[in-house]
Amino acid sequence: MKISSEELDGGITKVVLEGRLDIEGAAAVDLKMNVIAGSSKLLLLDMQQVSFLGSMGLRSIVVPAQTVRRRGGKVVLFAPVKMVEEVLKASGIDALIPIHHELSSALAALQ
Amino acid sequence: MPEIHAHKAECRLALRSQLVDLALVWPWVDALAAEFAIPADSRYAIDLCLEEALSNIVRHGYRGEPDRAIFIQFIPNGRAGLTFIIEDNAPHFASPEPREQDETSTSGSELHPAELKPGGQGIRLLRRFAGSLRWEQLPNGNRLTITFPHPPNSSGIQPH
Repeated sequence: MKISSEELDGGITKVVLEGRLDIEGAAAVDLKMNVIAGSSKLLLLDMQQVSFLGSMGLRSIVVPAQTVRRRGGKVVLFAPVKMVEEVLKASGIDALIPIHHELSSALAALQ
Repeated sequence: MPEIHAHKAECRLALRSQLVDLALVWPWVDALAAEFAIPADSRYAIDLCLEEALSNIVRHGYRGEPDRAIFIQFIPNGRAGLTFIIEDNAPHFASPEPREQDETSTSGSELHPAELKPGGQGIRLLRRFAGSLRWEQLPNGNRLTITFPHPPNSSGIQPH
């Protein structure tokens, strides 16, 4: 599991996740996700390259998202593949973190 | 559990009760998927359900005690589906009644963020992505039977 981040205009932090967000993948990204969530108020999680998302992987998304929201920030999920999106919707997490498939709408949602 | 010898891929797998041992499961499922032409969406559902079921045994059944046994058996049931039987020697697990173990509402629009409990999605995801689930108590452990439709009706997962 790989994780990288970059700062976009408007104070948006884009986090790119790549690989399987299973138990092992979640352990690999948790620390960096929590560090980013502690310092960012507008977070775009790029899910395009996440091939698998399990319940522990959900935790890796929800915990940082809750941190950002508690600080008055916003989080969006960008372009998850079909089955990953099924997991997000089945767990109800799309109610906490909106899913966008167009980058423009994802960025607009963070403004 | 009976041995099955008619297939190229080994239909049984033994694990220790450690999360690191879950890494042994995916290449095993890879081999089964190749031999039985399991579609990608069904494969996803299998990975999701096995990860959830096995990690529950390690964390909650054996309560983190390492080196206890977990056995998985795969049974290709033709048109009836793909069946995985998971057995452990952990204390008896009370099978969750429908919906009682779901830790969040199924109505996503009504969710408050604080209600989304991290890590509390397991039973909900099992129910959503498995074709059928059956929990049984063994004399010295538990058995969970998970069956996935094969071939899948459309997306490889069951409707709501």
